[in-house]
Amino acid sequence: MADLKYRLIPYGKANNIHVPINIALIDSKDIAACKISDTDAMKAVAKELGEPTGISIFDMDAVTTTSDGIMIPGAIIKMAAADNGSINPDFGILPMAEIDYSEEIIKEEPHLKQWDINYKGRKLFRGPNPKDKIIPVHNVVITGRASNNNSATEMMNIATMEEILLPILGQMQIMTGGDIVTGYTGEVISVGIGMTVKELYGRVFPTRQFGAGDTAHGSGIYAKTLKKSIPCIVADKSILAKYTLKALKAGMRAGVEIGCSPAVIAVSKAYGADVDIDKITPKALEELQSIGFTKEYINKKTEKLSEEEIIKRADEIIPGVESPSKIKSTEITQIKTLKVK
Amino acid sequence: MRVMHTKLPEFIDKMKQAVKKNTPQKNIAINGLENLKSAKMQSLRTGRIESAVEEIAKKDNVDRVELIVIPRVPETMHTVIVKGIDKDGNCDSAILEVINILHQTEEAYTSGCKNIEDRRPQIGRH
Repeated sequence: MADLKYRLIPYGKANNIHVPINIALIDSKDIAACKISDTDAMKAVAKELGEPTGISIFDMDAVTTTSDGIMIPGAIIKMAAADNGSINPDFGILPMAEIDYSEEIIKEEPHLKQWDINYKGRKLFRGPNPKDKIIPVHNVVITGRASNNNSATEMMNIATMEEILLPILGQMQIMTGGDIVTGYTGEVISVGIGMTVKELYGRVFPTRQFGAGDTAHGSGIYAKTLKKSIPCIVADKSILAKYTLKALKAGMRAGVEIGCSPAVIAVSKAYGADVDIDKITPKALEELQSIGFTKEYINKKTEKLSEEEIIKRADEIIPGVESPSKIKSTEITQIKTLKVK
Repeated sequence: MRVMHTKLPEFIDKMKQAVKKNTPQKNIAINGLENLKSAKMQSLRTGRIESAVEEIAKKDNVDRVELIVIPRVPETMHTVIVKGIDKDGNCDSAILEVINILHQTEEAYTSGCKNIEDRRPQIGRH
């Protein structure tokens, strides 16, 4: 017998938001310490909690990308959905694909230039390989009422239809006990989610569908309404600023190598990195304009700030999250252990 | 001609008959087919489901039968047809779109049941 450690944000009220299903996060090192398989660890957590639960396993030594192409340390390597104490054998569990380093992939996915510069030699995971799916559903696992979507960054109860958005940087803060913000997505995040980069086995899309400067939404003024009222747990904006700056310093440009999300544009402007409006597609620009990121605003020169100043003033520089409430992630996260063999 | 698929109303009637055959006092509720107006149901499985319905109905502890049809693949892809109709009722213009719908899997419907026998073939087999 061994004690498996995991982090739990339980169903119910968490600070100022409602969490629609249990959120269980496990460090792969804690599974290895128990000498059990990832699947057995996930099944044990499913059995322990019983109710609808989204489960993710992290490799904290690996790296991943945000949906707009910023590389960050830590990665989800497996996801599951559980209900009634079990995991659906066909659709309940999926591994993320490890991305092999090659010159070709850097050429096809130029945002991965960050890999060599900032995270050389570390393993990279984003979304699953479609070959690991029994049938080509999107990057989702479902068991009973529980659904864990977009490579474990959205979780929902399909019966109550309640959802929570869990951007990867916020989950990394939960894993490390760092600062988070709870609140509601709002129009800015709703638009920003669509500003993706081309990735093979990406977090949302398995193929290189929507490139930097474009929008996956392509729905004009409706984009800001698509995900605007969803509870979310995100990283403190100083953390988002820190990693966005790290990408900019590695030569990444909004709409060229990395996505043109409002957050990337806002940090770029503050850092004095010009945003080339011509690299943003008309569809993406229409969505940005609907939340005030007009052509005039993007082109307007603003005061150039130091890195330290941008990180310090991240809350005023980076838009997004309604009714934000800053807390330590430990205030809503329980450290649990359960006996496994 | 060999009938390889069963008409929807016939399918529903067969299930009702499968309960009444041995247990006329028992009833069956069929859920999940309400949105279908016309459909052909796989006949091979129709027979097996009739058999399962009869088997469940005959159990002493069973008072009534529920038959629930859900998508086995919990994300289904649907074509959406947006039609503009003219004053004469003709289709003037149309846009085809797609939408994926997420569904609960079987675990949502079997909570608390200890006797579950999974007779489904692997996905991809019939």
